[in-house]
Amino acid sequence: MDIREELQALSESAPARIAAASTMEELAAAESDITGKKSPVAAARRMLGKIDPDQRREVGILIKRVAVSLQRDIDARRSVLLLAEETADLAADAIDITLPGRGQTVGTHHIIQQVVDEIIDIFVALGFTVARGPEVETSFYNFTALNIPDTHPSRLETDTLYVDYGDDDEGVLLRTHTSPMQARYMEQNDPPVYVVVPGKVFRSDPLDPTHSPVFHQVEGLAVDTDITFGDLKGTLEMFAKQFLGKDTEVKFIPHYFPFTEPSAEMHAYSNGRWLELLGCGMVNPAVFENVGYDPSVVTGFAFGMGVERLAMVRHGVTDLRYLLENDFRVLRQFV
Amino acid sequence: MKFPLSWLREFIDIPDIEIADIVEAFESLGHEVEEAYELNAAFSGVIVGKVVQVAPHPNADKVRVCQVDIGSGVSEIICGAWNFEAGAYVPVAVPGAVLGDDFTITQREIRGIVSNGMICSEAELGLGDDADGIMVLNDDYPGSTDAVGTDFAAIVGYPDLYFDISITPNRPDCMSVVGLARELGARLDLPLVDRMPELDVVEDAVPLTISIQDDRCPRFTARTVRGISVGESPHWMRRRLSLAGMRPINNVVDASNYVMMELGHPSHAFDRLRLGDSIGVRRAVEGETIATLDDLVRTLVADDIVVVDGVDRPVSIGGIMGGASTEVHAESVEVVIESAMWFPPMILHSSKRLQLRSEASARFERGMDPNFTMTTADRVAELLVAHAGGTAGSAYDVYPSPVEPLVIEYPLSETRRILGIDLDTSTSTAYLEKLDFSVTGDDPLRVVVPTRRPDVQRPVDLVEELARLHGFASIPGRVVSGTGGGLPADIIAERKLRRVLTALGLNEAMTFAFIGHQDLDVLRLAENDPRRDAIDVVNPLRDEEGVMRTTLLPGLIKTVAANHARGFVDLGYFEIGKVFLRSGGALPAQPDHLGFILTGERGGDIGGEARSVDVRDGVGIIERLSETMRVGLAIEPAVESGFHPGRCGQVVIDGQVIGTVGELRPSVAAAAGLKGRVVIGELALAPLVAAADPWTLVPPSSYPPVVFDLAFETGADVRAGSVVQTIRSAAGPELESVSIFDVYSGTGIGEGRISIAVRLSLRAADRTLTESEVTPMRKSIVEAVESGHDATLRGSV
Repeated sequence: MDIREELQALSESAPARIAAASTMEELAAAESDITGKKSPVAAARRMLGKIDPDQRREVGILIKRVAVSLQRDIDARRSVLLLAEETADLAADAIDITLPGRGQTVGTHHIIQQVVDEIIDIFVALGFTVARGPEVETSFYNFTALNIPDTHPSRLETDTLYVDYGDDDEGVLLRTHTSPMQARYMEQNDPPVYVVVPGKVFRSDPLDPTHSPVFHQVEGLAVDTDITFGDLKGTLEMFAKQFLGKDTEVKFIPHYFPFTEPSAEMHAYSNGRWLELLGCGMVNPAVFENVGYDPSVVTGFAFGMGVERLAMVRHGVTDLRYLLENDFRVLRQFV
Repeated sequence: MKFPLSWLREFIDIPDIEIADIVEAFESLGHEVEEAYELNAAFSGVIVGKVVQVAPHPNADKVRVCQVDIGSGVSEIICGAWNFEAGAYVPVAVPGAVLGDDFTITQREIRGIVSNGMICSEAELGLGDDADGIMVLNDDYPGSTDAVGTDFAAIVGYPDLYFDISITPNRPDCMSVVGLARELGARLDLPLVDRMPELDVVEDAVPLTISIQDDRCPRFTARTVRGISVGESPHWMRRRLSLAGMRPINNVVDASNYVMMELGHPSHAFDRLRLGDSIGVRRAVEGETIATLDDLVRTLVADDIVVVDGVDRPVSIGGIMGGASTEVHAESVEVVIESAMWFPPMILHSSKRLQLRSEASARFERGMDPNFTMTTADRVAELLVAHAGGTAGSAYDVYPSPVEPLVIEYPLSETRRILGIDLDTSTSTAYLEKLDFSVTGDDPLRVVVPTRRPDVQRPVDLVEELARLHGFASIPGRVVSGTGGGLPADIIAERKLRRVLTALGLNEAMTFAFIGHQDLDVLRLAENDPRRDAIDVVNPLRDEEGVMRTTLLPGLIKTVAANHARGFVDLGYFEIGKVFLRSGGALPAQPDHLGFILTGERGGDIGGEARSVDVRDGVGIIERLSETMRVGLAIEPAVESGFHPGRCGQVVIDGQVIGTVGELRPSVAAAAGLKGRVVIGELALAPLVAAADPWTLVPPSSYPPVVFDLAFETGADVRAGSVVQTIRSAAGPELESVSIFDVYSGTGIGEGRISIAVRLSLRAADRTLTESEVTPMRKSIVEAVESGHDATLRGSV
């Protein structure tokens, strides 16, 4: 048979043989028969030198084309068989993908700490720094320095927890608010002052769904040569919008605190009703005088907010005790 | 402050206005409305009638036949009450009227005569308890005699609006109807009707003598009223008192209470005959007693103040409560109305101590107007003349140092400085005048402050008034741009610690800062342990909260115990918080501590073996904290009370002990309500977060490491940590890491000996280490361990 005819026959019969190979062994045998040393292709190559030089180039091209085509078929079949072989092996390595995932548990920051951090970060972004102060505090810083008169009922043991410590005539107590740090911070720092003070505060209130002897506040103080009530409003409104959502509406209602004048409560509209969010006001000149600031030169605003209250408003918590008991099931909801 | 709006309308002419608008107006002034709702009568279709004729019923003895003018004509009505005659103005439920929820009045035949409705009693109309007779309106119900044929509901004050407003402690002047009327009038631009009491006085034949011996009573005013007849107050007064939250008593006590609610100043009525002709005020004698109006005998202390009679017998605790001995009674005919001023702090302390907090003491402790006592007494007298049939007698007044109104110079620039807006002279003057300040001058304004406003002392207090009247909502907001300087380093470090601890699977706890002494017993702290010397809370809410915590462990242990009880045992918690320790200073030392606790099992995955937590989990946490904070921590074996003696260590930085880690003794854990191994640790936070220098990157080497293992046999008491220390000191800078991967004893190891296997990695920054370099390094490491720890090299790979 003519070489050309043989190659033609091979290119017609070989693809079926390749496709029929169902194992790597069968494919190797087929490959040896089709393109190996004893194959028609090899024989044709050996014959090429003996061919009429006029036809040698044409036949050479034909040999190469047939060989390349068949090798491509063989390689493709090999890929298919290899993948099938791997798939068969992996069947034994299967796992129920609906089983729970494996890995270390991630713990959770306490929800109150998360809220504290969030509040702090909002004010830090507005140019405030953060300070913290003692929880056991003198009566002077807790009351007197803040213009709270000696006769004010909040000083009584029915409202304030005292500790048996030292020989301070006025008494040493568990701070009832974070406001003492207003006075301490201003004593230690010259104006301008932009500071927020997070921390624990204490009251003589038995634990119930809305009261706790220990809770958290964040205090804020801005003192500069040009701070006005407008700054207080704009700044706290921005806080409310960041904390409760950008569409949050707020209103400021006149109120009374001994350490600010004028004083206000900020209410926010949330879940269909107005809720008191925080107390605030312009720093009372008497407080400036107590810390050695000149009230004719500086003005300032101050605010204080209850962290538990804010957490309750935002997270729909109906009983304060859920935030205080460190119940695994509660904490894990705020991972 | 509780009141019906109709009462307020006596002082300002409020146009028809939505209840929500009134609420908003009060709120915008700083008077929070606790409650506001409509008051409606419990009846409809009842009109005012005038009885023109009363005749016996021909067929019945117990009822009479009345001809009643009901405006549209005269109706014949049968009535079973006998407390009226012709001429009485009465409420008539005409056919179609509805009483209560569903009692509809119809024409009804009674023994042959048709009754065209019903004349009603208080009880039938739901206006009171009196069911004995029908209501006779006449003079007791002002307006009723001009109202024949009109809706009776209007006569008894319906419809009306009820308000309960919470008054801030700086505004005693608003603890009255007139005070709130003044405020609301200022907001709604309505003038206040400020009428003075009018009295026809017949001077006392025997004047009272008054002697004030205590300057805590800066003013004592009195007026007598003679010829009264004690009885029930008119309905409108009882209704208003009830709505104001005060129980009607009789026309004398009610008049005093009514004036307190109306005008703000408390007063007290003494029976003149029981009191005598002298009255005094003095400091109480320690241990002195007085029977008060509530029939309790009160023991006084020297800080209290008393009103006394002519024989120095206490007849009242000044400003707080009257005495029983001079109480007005059913047969009283002459009264002395006292209207005084009392020193506010004294009232606060005495009333709290005596547990006698009343509407009167609440007002005096906040500060009343010293220049209003006479008006108060006169207004009470006016009511007694009108409703108890009395005649006004003499007035008495001891006021040694009259209080002049304060004058404040107010520069208008203060408005811009504090509020950020400008209010000109005329606007500012108008605002202040609406609140009854008198204002002269352009700038500064010269502002005369009414003596009823103790809260207004300085220009900034006027800023508040201007802001309130202008409206907080009308002041534009502006966001500050502070120069505070961002998060301080200690908070950044603390947040990093929290992140690491939570990444390690621990949950953050927050526990109370106070604990009980018993919590320290549970931990079995040594008797001389300074943590035993906890600072007492003077007035704890519970014994379990009696002392300030000196350690975070009790709170963490209780947190875990509570969760065990809820069914969760595989737990890790941490807390960062203050402990309170005695110091030399004015305040205790209050360092922040970091504590953690681990219980239960770990690694119990499908097909994997769960294992109990143990102290190495605690050490692991401390190692991770040490890495994170770049602090060189070491753990040294220790024995501490309450801890497992073989599983406890101290945490050391630079030779200083900063805390403890270990397992609780099983018996201590059990006493705390915990089962299994309990791993706890507590560290002082400050050394961990001490600001470190910014870290400078060490470029990683691109050359390969030489890794090899060494196993040493050494004494069983040799600590693995010290072997590692030896290797670190003996190796050169090429030592990249050293870690212990096996500790073994038993077959092949001598008695009392152990095998410690370590893996070392050596790597140079600038070259590939050659065998000829590594060999002497390995040799010196081996020699150091062998000589330092009585060790022999077992093998090397």
